[in-house]
Amino acid sequence: MKANEVPQDETYYNGEKRACYALNDEGKYVVVPSAGWSVEEIVNGLAVDELAASLEETRKAVLAGVKSPLAYHMERRQMTPEILAKTAGIAAFRVKRHFRPGIFAKLKMSVLERYAQALAVTTQELATVPQK
Amino acid sequence: MQTDVTSGGKPFIHQHCAHCETGVTAALFRDKGVEISEPMVLGIGSGIFFGHLPFVKWVGLPISTYRSQPGAVFRKAAQRLGGEFVTRSYRNAQKGMDELRRVLKTGQIVGLRTNIYWLSYFPNRFRFQFNGHNIVVLHEIENGFRVSDPVLEHPVDCLTEDLVRARFARGPLEPHGFMYYPESVNPHPDLRTACISGMKDTCNMMLKIPLPIFGIRGMRFLAKTIIRSGKGDFMEACRQLGNIVRMQEEVGTGGAGFRYMYAAFLQEAAEMFASDELSQLSQEMTAIGDIWREFAVVSARIIKKRNPAEETFAKAGGLMLVCAGREEALFKDLQRVVSKFKA
Repeated sequence: MKANEVPQDETYYNGEKRACYALNDEGKYVVVPSAGWSVEEIVNGLAVDELAASLEETRKAVLAGVKSPLAYHMERRQMTPEILAKTAGIAAFRVKRHFRPGIFAKLKMSVLERYAQALAVTTQELATVPQK
Repeated sequence: MQTDVTSGGKPFIHQHCAHCETGVTAALFRDKGVEISEPMVLGIGSGIFFGHLPFVKWVGLPISTYRSQPGAVFRKAAQRLGGEFVTRSYRNAQKGMDELRRVLKTGQIVGLRTNIYWLSYFPNRFRFQFNGHNIVVLHEIENGFRVSDPVLEHPVDCLTEDLVRARFARGPLEPHGFMYYPESVNPHPDLRTACISGMKDTCNMMLKIPLPIFGIRGMRFLAKTIIRSGKGDFMEACRQLGNIVRMQEEVGTGGAGFRYMYAAFLQEAAEMFASDELSQLSQEMTAIGDIWREFAVVSARIIKKRNPAEETFAKAGGLMLVCAGREEALFKDLQRVVSKFKA
């Protein structure tokens, strides 16, 4: 890759730049900052859309009363039940059980606080999901 | 490039790097007065690799890696360059943070392994649960720390709360608050010997691992998987392919990025050994990097359904097979060339 071929597409970097190694005119490798690459944007978009779609589905399931808000907040942090279980110090099978709204509603404050701490939200936020 | 200071008042020059771990290792060495470039660290630490792990899942998709496992570059580079490093990990977050503050007060900069999701100074779409991101902490500020993240252009501020979460995140490859800093560094490391052992190790890893998922064999295995996936469900195949390209170009530095960086290393080494063969290999590596990028472009076209008659899974897999063939030849040549060098 030559220095002038380093992609400079406007993508999702928010003004940040990444370093690329490319050849300058004398054939020497130099670091060239890249503003983004549209190919990267496509594959990143694919993954981000997938996450967003599944988060939206969970949110609707919570509003419909099929899942507990805990499932939503876990997904929002891109965690899996296993990661959440380790972070909160609660066994994975209990975490999965707490995805059921009835069981989640009866949880003690101390358990909720551990989840809130692990997910970096307040206990009030943990009990609800955004309406839209 | 931007200058900042450590808590000892010593100037620290922030260099924009393509990869976090090599960048951090190079920064730690430079801070001790050893001028070493990022590609040099990659070459000496044998950072270039390939592996496809179909049974290790990350967000439900198999992992393809274009680099050696996190931590290996640092460990190998430190060993081969003769640097004594203090490495510590902690169970208790409070202890880990106290120790970090204590070391920073002595004027020493510290490398940390962190979870990239909790580092809120990154743009949102960079953030995902990955426990292998390396950063350098320069000094403490009010409510946080001054951080030199090698993949960003400038040093940034990081909140204490974020840093604690990032250092003590749980999940696969837990960092356990892993921190490292040099205790003593050989001021005049023997770069030639280090380069030779780095290159030999790389050749062995790429050519000699007797498992079909690592090195050149791994590339062929993955290429065949891609070609086969074209016959199955299109959406699922796109997910898989998208993930491979994402691993290649975005997560960390990417496959092509590493190939270019390794080419830069070969170029530096060619100068050091005054070897024409090495500089030819550097050019070949650049060409291979270009094919990896072409693979990414073709894959993106497949996913976007542009020109489906021509841009097929067979073509994408074919490009990867070309990469595999050329890299195999390159590393065999490199092995031959290196065996003639004397330290």
